[in-house]
Amino acid sequence: MSTEESASRGDSIPRGAAVLEFISNAWPWLFFLFLLTVFEMWGRVGFGQSFVTNPFVLKSIAVAASFALLLAAGQTLVIISGGIDLSLAFTMGLAAVVTAFGMNMASPHVGPILSFFFGASLALMVSFIPGFINGFLVAHLHVPAFIATLGFFGINRSAAFIFAGGVDEPIADRTVVSVIGYYEVFGVVPLLVVVTAVAVLGVHYVLSQTRYGQYTYAIGGSMEAASRAGVNVRRHIWSLYVFASLLAGLAGVLHATRFGSGRADSGEPLLLSAVAAVVVGGASLFGGRGTIIGALIGTLIIATIPSGLSFLRVNPFFQFGVEGVIIIVSVLIYMSRDRFNWGGGRGQT
Amino acid sequence: MKKTFAAFALAAGAALFQPAGGAVAQDSFSVTLIPGLTTDAFYITMRKGAEAAAEKMGVDFSFQGAPNFNPTEQIPVLEAVIAQGPDAILIAPTDKTQLIEPLRQAVNAGILVLTVDTFIDDGSYQDGSGAGDFPLSLISSDNVLGGRMAGRALCDAIGGSGKVFVSNVNPGISTTDQREEGFKLEMAASCPGAEVLDTQFNENDSAIAATQLQAVLAREPDLAGVFGANLFSAIGTADGVRAAGKSGEIPVATFDAPQRIVEDLKSGLVNIAIAQHPAEIGWFGVAAAVAALSGQSVPTAIGTGFTIMTPENIDDPAVAAFVYSD
Repeated sequence: MSTEESASRGDSIPRGAAVLEFISNAWPWLFFLFLLTVFEMWGRVGFGQSFVTNPFVLKSIAVAASFALLLAAGQTLVIISGGIDLSLAFTMGLAAVVTAFGMNMASPHVGPILSFFFGASLALMVSFIPGFINGFLVAHLHVPAFIATLGFFGINRSAAFIFAGGVDEPIADRTVVSVIGYYEVFGVVPLLVVVTAVAVLGVHYVLSQTRYGQYTYAIGGSMEAASRAGVNVRRHIWSLYVFASLLAGLAGVLHATRFGSGRADSGEPLLLSAVAAVVVGGASLFGGRGTIIGALIGTLIIATIPSGLSFLRVNPFFQFGVEGVIIIVSVLIYMSRDRFNWGGGRGQT
Repeated sequence: MKKTFAAFALAAGAALFQPAGGAVAQDSFSVTLIPGLTTDAFYITMRKGAEAAAEKMGVDFSFQGAPNFNPTEQIPVLEAVIAQGPDAILIAPTDKTQLIEPLRQAVNAGILVLTVDTFIDDGSYQDGSGAGDFPLSLISSDNVLGGRMAGRALCDAIGGSGKVFVSNVNPGISTTDQREEGFKLEMAASCPGAEVLDTQFNENDSAIAATQLQAVLAREPDLAGVFGANLFSAIGTADGVRAAGKSGEIPVATFDAPQRIVEDLKSGLVNIAIAQHPAEIGWFGVAAAVAALSGQSVPTAIGTGFTIMTPENIDDPAVAAFVYSD
């Protein structure tokens, strides 16, 4: 696209620009590799233990990253369009609680298996609501996304805690969820990681291969231009918030299934991690740029750090700092690419 | 005496085969403490107690956790610790249900599990009932006893008679429920002149607690004292007392002793504080783990003590030592 053109056409510093282009595209991957290498060597030298070949560690990171990735994927869609959705954290929590609530309600009447499907469907239906209203507020009433979704951050939180009657709604009959939550496909890959992968691949396809995806980038680039080109901007933005909300709802269902209870604050620590993951993966908070693959690698980096540091017995107080440094370095790299590539263009909307 | 015990523990450690050590020979037991959250004074104090015990007993000790009290963050840390493979894990579970399966994985990996401060399932272990019956022991404050101590102290402060009430968080939280239970037991047993009014639930919001205090006071002008079952309840109640111009006339008893309690006692905002002993929880957690790893039996529940703090005794080093360290 225009990036390569300008890199090859660039006259003042073509070499530097090409190198930067490469670094900024490959940087999260290179960094992830670097992180794994450091953890692996440290583990082997310090404790005689391997980090990356330990299946228990890999599964743990994959599961933790699944919840975060579902939030990050939805967040990516919204961020590309130039918005943000802060309510996703408690949309996830609300869905987790409703899953447990629905199961407990239905279980005595229809048995554990059907009650699981009832709880999960109910949770997805409920998670549709905040996305629908957020989308309406942002797209039609032009409420700033930050404000509208901050409102639903609170509303979802209240709803989740009220439904749970506290922070936690335990699933009374856990026979079914303990099987599904811990089931491993081919005895290796946790089922919920597979479900996440399918959902996120779907989002990736839509964003990268369809007109719907092109419109999303176009709106993030310039809402006016997209509108003049015939995109129904309002309806499109509206749908993005619904999409993101449903993905967060799915994360909540999976969380409740895995851990046997609906926890109202299950998504709270993931909100900012997901935004960080999206940014580390190369998205711009000003809109117009970002990919699902970027969100994936960003999520893997953010999820690997606490596991690695705990595995290596590092003082837990270092964790915040390490994450902070990575976020700043990522953004600096992306900014320098923009500066070298051309004076005013994409990413500076 | 302490030396003998340390020597004994070391000898026992050396003599026994290490359950989780695998093929690698180890010279000491390894124990990891996973707090409810890493950034809270209560758990930081617990860590210090655990470290002191680990040093005395020659235990290879580690402290790992997440910055928020939330299973979504705690479980990955726990799993990384399981993969690392210490001999025993001491953990303050952040959820009664959600930590059951992850902790079962630790047991399956041959790691001994003990819980500190909080618990999984119903908190009574090794009694053959419940999905979360497998931890060896729960080391925590005996909250009924703590409530009793608060009751006795408040009874003294009101001169043995008058109307009192409990400002509590929410019904259904095990620790605060137990404190209220202990408080009422003690009032009934040793303060017959006092009348305990209905409990006010403030949802852990000090503003609500303050409003409730004033509502009760409007109804019962001769209110003699209040017990706040946790710090927020007590601070809110004390603010209500101050706003009503009754500071010093209506004593307020509270639970827990973060750094600010020193000022709060001296300024007269609260009059009695029941400090838990988190360092003791950490110490006995490590000791119980070492005992179990040495093949000794351990009690399924270990109750730790409390210190009563008042404006008069807070400068006494023996009392001030129990203020939670930052």
